[in-house]
Parts: sequence; C-alpha cells; structure tokens
Amino acid sequence: MSGEQVPLDPSVAPLGTREFRDAGGLPAAAWRADQTEQTLVPTHCCFCGIQCGMYLRVDGRGKVFGVEPRNHDINRMRLCPKGINAYQQVNHPDRLTAPLLRRDRKQPFREVSWDEALEFTVEQINRIQREHGRDAFGMLGGASLFSEKTYLVGKFARVALKTRHVDYNGRLCMVSAAGANKLAFGIDRAANPFADILQTDCLLIVGANVGECFPVLTQYVWGARDRGATLIVVDPRQTAVARTADIHVALKSGTDSAFFNAVLHVIVEEGLTDEAFLAANTTGWAEVKAAVKEYPPSRAAEICGVPAEQVVEVARSFGRARRAMGWHARGIEHHTQGVENCLTVINLCTATGNLGRPGAGYGTLTGQGNGQGGREHGQKSDLLPGGRSINDPAHRRQIAAIWGIEESELPPAGTSMMEMVWQMQRQEIRGLIGVCNNPFVSLPNYAVVKDGYDKLEFHAQFDFFLSETAANAHVVFPVTTWAEDEGVMANAEARVVKHNKAQEPPEGVRTDTWVMCELARRLGAGSKFAFEGSRDVFDELRRASAGTVIDYYGITYDRLERTGGLVWPCPGLEHPGTPRLFEDGRSYHPDGKIHLQAVEWHPPADPYDDDFPMTLTTGRTVAHFLSGNQTRRLGALVEQTPRPWVEVHPSQGFRNGEPVRVVTRRGSAVLPALVTEAIRPDHVFVPYHWPYPVAANELTVDALDPRSKIPEYKVCAVRIERARAVDEVPAPPTPPGREAYPETQAPRTDPLPPTSSQGVGTGERG
Amino acid sequence: MAATPPPPGGSPDGSAGGSSAGDGPPPYRRGAVPAETRPDVTTSPAGRASMVAGAASVLLIAAILLGSRELRDFDSALVPYAVATVFLTFGVVYRYMMWISAPAARRMFREGWAAALSWENLKRSPTALPRMAATYLGFQKFLGARSHARWAAHQLIFWGCLSAAVITFPLTWGWFTFTAAGATGPGYEMRLWGVKLFGFDSGSFFGWALYHGLDLAAVMVIGGVGYFLWRRVRDRAATTGQRFGYDFLPLLALLTISVTGLLLTFSEMFLHGGGYEFLAILHMASVVLTLVYLPFGKFFHIVQRPAAVGMQLFKYTARRKGSDAEELRACRRCGQPIDTAAAVDNLRATMRDLRLGFDEWAEYCPRCKRVLRGTAYLSDVKRGFK
Amino acid sequence: MLGRTIFIDPGRCIGCQACVSACRECDSHRGKSMIHLDYTDEGRTVASLPTVCMHCEDPVAPCAEVCPAEAILITADGVVHEADPTRCIGCANCVNACPFGVPKIDLAAKLQMKCNLCYDRTSYGLAPMCATVCPTGALFYGTAEELQAERPGVDVSTEFVFGATTVSTGVAMVVPPERQAPVPGGLLNVIEVNGRSTPGNG
Repeated sequence: MSGEQVPLDPSVAPLGTREFRDAGGLPAAAWRADQTEQTLVPTHCCFCGIQCGMYLRVDGRGKVFGVEPRNHDINRMRLCPKGINAYQQVNHPDRLTAPLLRRDRKQPFREVSWDEALEFTVEQINRIQREHGRDAFGMLGGASLFSEKTYLVGKFARVALKTRHVDYNGRLCMVSAAGANKLAFGIDRAANPFADILQTDCLLIVGANVGECFPVLTQYVWGARDRGATLIVVDPRQTAVARTADIHVALKSGTDSAFFNAVLHVIVEEGLTDEAFLAANTTGWAEVKAAVKEYPPSRAAEICGVPAEQVVEVARSFGRARRAMGWHARGIEHHTQGVENCLTVINLCTATGNLGRPGAGYGTLTGQGNGQGGREHGQKSDLLPGGRSINDPAHRRQIAAIWGIEESELPPAGTSMMEMVWQMQRQEIRGLIGVCNNPFVSLPNYAVVKDGYDKLEFHAQFDFFLSETAANAHVVFPVTTWAEDEGVMANAEARVVKHNKAQEPPEGVRTDTWVMCELARRLGAGSKFAFEGSRDVFDELRRASAGTVIDYYGITYDRLERTGGLVWPCPGLEHPGTPRLFEDGRSYHPDGKIHLQAVEWHPPADPYDDDFPMTLTTGRTVAHFLSGNQTRRLGALVEQTPRPWVEVHPSQGFRNGEPVRVVTRRGSAVLPALVTEAIRPDHVFVPYHWPYPVAANELTVDALDPRSKIPEYKVCAVRIERARAVDEVPAPPTPPGREAYPETQAPRTDPLPPTSSQGVGTGERG
Repeated sequence: MAATPPPPGGSPDGSAGGSSAGDGPPPYRRGAVPAETRPDVTTSPAGRASMVAGAASVLLIAAILLGSRELRDFDSALVPYAVATVFLTFGVVYRYMMWISAPAARRMFREGWAAALSWENLKRSPTALPRMAATYLGFQKFLGARSHARWAAHQLIFWGCLSAAVITFPLTWGWFTFTAAGATGPGYEMRLWGVKLFGFDSGSFFGWALYHGLDLAAVMVIGGVGYFLWRRVRDRAATTGQRFGYDFLPLLALLTISVTGLLLTFSEMFLHGGGYEFLAILHMASVVLTLVYLPFGKFFHIVQRPAAVGMQLFKYTARRKGSDAEELRACRRCGQPIDTAAAVDNLRATMRDLRLGFDEWAEYCPRCKRVLRGTAYLSDVKRGFK
Repeated sequence: MLGRTIFIDPGRCIGCQACVSACRECDSHRGKSMIHLDYTDEGRTVASLPTVCMHCEDPVAPCAEVCPAEAILITADGVVHEADPTRCIGCANCVNACPFGVPKIDLAAKLQMKCNLCYDRTSYGLAPMCATVCPTGALFYGTAEELQAERPGVDVSTEFVFGATTVSTGVAMVVPPERQAPVPGGLLNVIEVNGRSTPGNG
C-alpha cells in the first residue's frame, strides 16, 4: 500500500487478533445475554452416539437461545464443538417452515399447504403401488431419529405402505458391528459401559478417531491412562488420540482382520489365552485357532504394512493385561469384510477371557445419536421391533398381533439401503419416502445414487433443513428438530436416555410422528396410527419389545427422567437395567455360548493397479456431523472447518494448500492438500461431510459387505495428481427465494485446507 | 512506572497496577526498590503534577476575573459552581499529569502530540487531524462498531453534556451575560466578556432554544443514561464485574443533575417557584460533587479519549511516510504485519522503560508466540500424554 | 500458593476446539471467543495448544503496564480483566506486548478483548466455560490438589522463561513430576519454518 492510500483508520494488527466474528452472526443478531427469565431444559445432544447431557437455555418467550453444560454421568459437563453449537439449529433462519412441492423435477419448489402436500403424496403412493405393486414404493429412515420415530418408520412402511422395502441410514454406519455381535453373542450392543474404560489395564481402540468423532469419550481414555492403562490405537492416520498412544499401529486400511488374526496368533503361541473361559463359554475356538495359525506376524507385517514386532507388542500388551478392552468404530466396519473385522476383535477379547468384567470387555462406538436405538425397533429391512427377525414365523406372529394385522399382511424382508438405490436405477422401486437421511452425501458412489434418485417417479423427504437429497425431491415436509419434541435415544452403551422438548416448533412445522400418522390415516391405516405423540408410541414400543432380547418394557419416561438413563435389557419396572453384559459368561444365544467365528482376510473390493496405486480412506472431522446438512449451517463450525481437503504425506511431493485432483474409478474431485506426516505415505484421506462436487462419496466404491451390506467407505484405490484450482464448496441448499444464512457461510470460500485435521487454528482466522 | 513509586491518584480503581521493577540485571523481579528514586517536590511526578495543576487553577481564576470584567458580570449565586470548576481544573490537570508520567502513556502522549503538531504532517495530510477528531471524538464511530444502541445512547449523553457545559461554564464564570436590549419588550443581547455577540428575540424559537438549552440537554442525557442504566441491570455482559462506584455512580450523578435541573424549570414554570430553593441546592450539590469527582472515576475517559486520536494519528502518519514494506513491521517468523514499525519500536521502548525483559517478543505475531511456546513445550516438557 | 485456577495440559489436548465454541457462550462476552487454539506441530502431527490468558502475577500483567489508557483492571483475586471499554483506545500495545500472545483487538470498535477467566462464572464459584466443556481435561479448573488427586503423578508450573526473563502466572501448565525448570516460552532464533527461512533471520 502506498502512502497515499492509507485509510483514515490505518491500524493494523496481527492476523488472528484483530477480528471478532460472532461466529457467523448466530443466533442471528441475538448474541446478547440478558439477565432475564431463563429456563434450563435438561436434554441430550442430538449428534453422536455418546449422547452427552446438556441443558438448553430457553428465554422468557419460550425460545431456545443457548446451551449450558449439564453434569450428566455420561459426559460430566463435557461437550464437543458440535454439541455446543447444536442449539443454534433450533431457531436458525435456514429452517424449513412450509411444505415444498413440485410435480416435476424441472420445476422449482413452491410452498404449499400441509393438506396439499399430504394429499399429493398419498395420491402418488396409491398410484405407484396400484400400477407397479406395493413393493415399488420404498421408505428410508434414519438413526438420528428418536427411537419412537424409528419404530414408526418400520411400522408405517409395513402397515401403512405395506411394502417390504424399508431400510435406514444406519446401514451405512453400524451394521457390521451389529452383524458381528449377533453372530458371536446373540445380542447387538456394546458389552460394557463407558465407565468400564476407566478400570481397564489395556485399552485397544481400533478404527475409531475418538478425538474427533467422539471427543467427549476422550476423558474416559485419558482417565484409564491416568490409572496406568496401556493405550493401543490401530488407525492408518495418526489421530489426536493415536499421537500420544503407547502403541500406534498405522496399518494399511482394509487389512484389519489380517492384523488381528496375527495378534491372536501370537497370543496363542505365547500361551496368553484364557483356556478355562474358552472351554466353558465358547464354541468354534478350535476353528479360530486353526485359522489364526496361518497368520504369523511376518504375514501380517507384509499385508498390513507394519513391523512384525508391533504385532507381537500389541499381542503381549493385550494378552498380558489383567483387564483389557477393545472398542472399535467405522474404521474396521466400513469394509466388504466389516462383519469379519469386528469378529476378529471379538475373537481377541474372548480368547483372552476379557468379557463381562469391570474393565474387561468389548464395545462398538455408534456414530449417530440413535445409532444403537435406531437399529433395534424395526426400521431395518430384516428386523421387527425388539430386534425380532422378520424371517422368523414366531416373531412375525407376535408383531402382527401387537399391530393388529394378519401375519400374512406383514411383508417379507426387504433389501439394504444401497441395494434399494440399485433397485431405483432398475425402476423396481419407483417411489420413496426418506426420513432423516441425506444419501446424496452419505451413500458411496454419488453418480449411482444421483441416477437412482433421479429415476424415482415420486420422492418425498422429511427434513428441517433442505438437504441435498431433499432438494432433489418432489415433496419436502418441514419437521421438528430434536429440541421441539420429546423422545428417547440409546447411546453406544445401549443406555436409553430421554430428550425433552425445549420449545414449540416454529409455525408451520410438524413432528415426524404427526406426519407419518397423518399419511397413514390418509392411506386408510389410521386406526393403527392413533398416536398423539411420542409417549403413546413409546408405550407401544415397550410392549412390542417385551420379552425380546432388546427388552424396553421396564423403561418408562418417568424412570428415565428420574435416573438419567437405563440400559436395556430392562424387562421389569423395578429392573435396574443391564449396563454390563456376560457377567456370568453366558451369551444370548439359546445355548448360552459365545459363537466364535474363524475369519480369513481378503483384499478390499476395489483393486489396486498402476492407474490407481494408492489407498483412499474417508472419515469425519470434529466440527461436522455426517452429511453436514446440520453442521454446515452453523457459523462456528463452518469457521472451524470451512471445506474438505485431501490429506497427503509429504513424500507425495505436494505443497500444503496446493490443488490436488483425487481420482478413483468412479469420479474425481479437486481439493486442497493438507500435507502432513500424520498419514501413511501410501494413503490419502478425504472427509466426507460435503456434497458434490467436493464429496468424498463421489470417489468411494459401492461395494458391500455380503452379510451386513455396509459399503466399503474406508478403502478404495486412488491416484492423486496436480490440478489448477480447487473445486468450490457449494452453499447448503435452501428453498427458492432464500439464501443460506450468509453470515454463517462467509468462510466457506476459503480455498485452503485447515491447519490440521481438526480445523483451522484460531490464529489464522481473519 | 519504573523508577518511580506508584502515583497516589494514578489508578483509583486499581487499573494499570503496574509493577515497579528492579534496576539490576535480568531477570527482573518485582519488589526491588530502585535506589535512585528519592522523590522531591520538583522532580517527582506527583510534585510536578501538583505544580502544573496549581498553575492551571490560578490561570483559570485569572481568566474568570478578567472575563467577568473584574467580577462585574459575575453572578454571586453561582460561586459554588465557579469554585467547583477551579477544583475540577486542578483535579483534571493533576490526574492528566500523573497519567502521562507513566511510561506507556508518556510515550504515546509524545508521539501523538508530535504527530499532531508536526508541520510535515500538516502539509502532507492537512485534513487528517480534524477528520479523526470528528469521527472519533464527535461522532464516535468506533462505538457504533461495538453496539448501535450504545452508540446512540452515548451520543445523547455526549452532546447533552457538551452543550450543557458550553452553556453553563461561561455563565458561572461570568463570561456570558444576557441583557435586555430595551426597558420593555422581548429583545435581548448576548455578550461575551462584555462584548455584544448578537441580539435576539426571547419569543423566537432561537430564544426559546437558548433559554431552554439546558432542559434539552437534560432530556438528552436522561434518555442516554436511562438506556445505560437499563443495560447495567439487564445485559449480562455489562453486569459482569460491574462496580457501583465506577459504573453506576456516574450514571446516577448525571441523572440527578438532569432531573433536578428539569425540576427547576418545572418549578419555575408551573409551581411559581415552589420548592425552587431546595431543588437549586440539590442541583448545585450534585453538579459540584460530579465535577469534583470527574477526574477520578469513569468520567476521566472524557480527558483520556483524545489519546485515541493521538494514537491513530501516530500510526497514520507513520504509514503515510512510505510503503508498507518499510513502515509496517512484519512478524519475524511468519512475515505477517504486526503493526507500524514506529508503533512496535515505541512499544519496545515502553517495555524497556518498564523493565519487561521480553520486548523482543513484540517482534513476533501473537500466533507465532503461541506456536513457539507450544513447540518448545512439545520438545522440552513433554510430547504427549506423558 | 495457587488457588482455584485453570491448569493447561497440551499433552491431553485433541484440538477439537470445543473451548473455542464454548468461550462464545460465556455470558460476559457472548458471541466472542477469546481463547486461542493453535496447531503447533503443523505438517507433522495433530498436536495442539489451547491458550487462555495466563493472568501474569510477576511482573503483574505486562498488558496492563504497557496500556497507555489505564484500561486494564486487575482485581484483588489476581484476575487480569479485559480492557475497560470506556478507556481502551485500541492501540494494540497489549496485543504485542503479551509474551503469551493472548489479547485480541477489534480494530473497528477500538477495543481490546481477552480472556477474563469467565468472570461472570468464576466470581460465583463456577468453572470457566472452556474448562467446563473441555472433553479431555486439557483445560482443568480447580486447585492443584484436585488436579493431582485426579491425575496421580503430575506436577504444575507457573514459571515461564522468555529469554532471560521469568514470568510467573496465575494460570498453570501441567508438567511431568520430575521437572524442576520453568516452562520455556519459546526459542526466538527461528531460522526456518517448514523449510522456508523466516523474514527476520533470512
């Protein structure tokens, strides 16, 4: 700047000290806090499977305006950045407040009355089902819904739509763990509460970026270490928790089962197994032992790309610990052998007798708020409430009786979410209702997903912000946020917690329960859906789950409000719940044994070759949640992490911030390089919260695990090349005539990667 | 405040509680009393401040005597007000002298006035100073950036108080007189120092406004004070750490002055002077106490605020000298501009005055300071959990 | 002796920035985040460092000393407050004098702002927002005894060395038990950053 152009206010101050952005001006122009009437409504966070307790601050006019930490025993006042900003969704200017409708995708949406939107939807359902059969209409639910609503999704699909095609987005999330749990234990949940982590001597964290995806769980991890526990982290990236771990195994993505087979190999070799426990409580040990014999450390070292000594080191730490625990998440589940990967961890815990004791056990970290509860009560294609199988005639009869229908009326098992998209492409499914999901960002192989949804003759979506998927629909129903209705969720410990209603929904917004019941009424099934609200649904859910493994009968709203959460199975009103499983060594299989399963490693589905020599792995960042439809609108979170990036090792020769084209067999995206030694040299990482054209899921492969049907998000073949300019991040969709609240979106155009995978350092903002 | 004892009136509310520093070699620790400080009346800041303040008071008294034509125009009923202004002058000048005797303020004072009085600067940018004075002192644009409501309320108080002061101070000093132009009729003349300025008709709007100027000012002040009082009981940002003496007293003082002033007019117009005596005493007491209190509490910002213009002008003129590459100091680690080179040098000199032995750190931007410290922690204390 | 204060342990920090968002929720400065979160090992690891105001005790608050407007108040409890808005002239002296890099400035508003230890909360016995929500305990609020009861075998330090000067603070860092030396404030003779020579020493 030359001397002549100095502004009258010439002050300069260093970057990062000179601006106080009100984090996107939210809550819009109302950051002031007045010393007036305020109510604290106890509830839980709407985001991940930890389900931290929090208070929502409600002002004298009955509006949510802030958050206050709550000393709930899950989180003890701790919150992560998503949780702190969650309340800003409630009175956000981007909220949908009127149903949107268009008869043709070429037209723009127009706001219509509820009556018109519902009538049009019912008309289309009836037409499609009349012309193409009942199964031509499908339904997809979500695992961020309250359990009551997930129960309703399953019941609505089977009783009102009478279709077999119902599934939910937990299919992209926790089904591999669920499948492994059911196979081995006959019960699908974590075996130990989080509090057990504090008592363990050796904590094995596998494929879980605890620091970013479950930040509040870190206090348990550190608590264990304060008491002397050894921490082992298995992850291709050096995550925040891996950075300080005692052992960090940076294996190649997609080689987990080989690694754990080898660990078990060493444990067997060195006589660290608990033979008494195995003999008394398991079946299949001989087969497992034979299988792992083929996996000496040298073989694992070759497959996994880690030193053989590390295999031995992990085996000794885990095998020699008096109490050891294994926790895993999507890192080993998002694979074409996701179920088998989980089984290898179960084998490891079981073989060392680490089950059913304080500090000794096994768990899976559910990603979505109701990831656990969402899979329990019948929105999964093959399950009925209480985790009953839809293929079991006895289970079918029980549910038919509760629902007041003939067993023959109950449709058979449907297909999984990704398979349903393929069926849409083939026009086997022609109509769809989506509730609480955003497959345009969350499903793999975006091109296929877009094609499938485009082929739908009718598509309705329930949402409170217009998601990328909803923006492609014919009808969008504006529904409530979590703070505007009550209901329960089950966290990763299978602890059922109650969310309370903090404020009335905005004018024009209805609960998902109301919309489903109203649609059912108009479809002629009103008598089966005479629910006033969540309480009525929960009562039916309790009765429907009574006597099953997933027994909610003893859990009532009243008890939840008094206790702060109960862990199922809870069969009676006096029953204290079951925080820890297998205390007597018995599983939930009829024979009471743990069914160990032998696993053979196989390579990932997407083959490497000269064109695609490297590995792409995808995952989350701490400031955003899943498809980002919620978090990409909250100023503080956009500011923390404005855009996706590609994480590459310095040996790949890119400069930090340089545009890099990430190419797979399915697509490409140009993202800024975050050059860091914290990733394996043969891997690149892309976070998946953003939509096309910067979507990680343009790149990922739609190959499924044969058992759980989970897509292989965590590994595919890739190459990276130099590019000219990074792809721009699109604004979150809004209805016609409205703009995504601009102040929250200001940092989105930043072309640079964040400072670190957790976000942009505060010193580099404005 | 190196080499000097803390000034007695220097920080009545405890602000800027600086340390005195030792004069030995580093590390500099608190508690060592420097040997060379043997204050005497002429060289100690307090002594010098008292002398300058006394001189200023004497000057004011002389001006009152001259301006009121040897007290011929002086209204003896206003004596307490006039005496209060003398005390006010002493207090303000004393506080001002004490204030600028502290190293940071002294250096900023010098640089600010040097920039303001520099012939070079005047030639280069003649309009800078008046424009800055108008935006920072008159229209207080910076307050708008803090909050629009606070800006509006402060403007009401500011212009209200300013007009009240402009009207009343010369009156109490006997500088202004209003005399009837004739034996009868509405014609009046306004005189300054006995010299006729203009005549006006007491029935005209101008006459009305002049007569009721103080009432208008009072209404403005009450509006602004009302908002601030409301904010002080309601806004959690304002209530945090607020103190009665510092935050409420000034508002209550202004409110009392304005309300009693208005009541005087009310008494005169509608009550035929009922209660006038009592109200007059109350009004006078509140004004006198406020004036005497002014140098020591929140009101001292009125005297300090012009330093913002000095500071601004200092940085402005520094940047007008040459290119940013020369005139801006870049962080020695990351190259981001920190401030004008002159300001950083001024700060480093201030830090050396204060015996803060880490003035070299001022050449690094805050982020780099934190990163350097973080890096040192990682390499020198512990890398991770253990 | 240390009373109730914040203890910082960067070794536990996961860089999630919960503190940065939580700071905005503090009623005494809603919407404005005062805490800093830096990724101090950029390009190598995801290590991070949260920085709150250290509330310097000796020398008492350099920021207040270099303030030409007497705007920074230090209360008897040792809390160094943010600038008094009626006095602050926005000169940025405090921003550049603070060896820890704490104060921020709003140039348009001519106003400095910095961590005040959530005075609206701490003055009523509540923990500051950042330390309340910190998911990892990298920011801990309490007494040194409470800290050591939760974390056996840690020690704390309030001494920082900047060149030849030692600054002692009201906020403490967690250090290994055997450590006697003060915590380094950072080495200034930076020759290069990420392979590039630095402007000051190039």
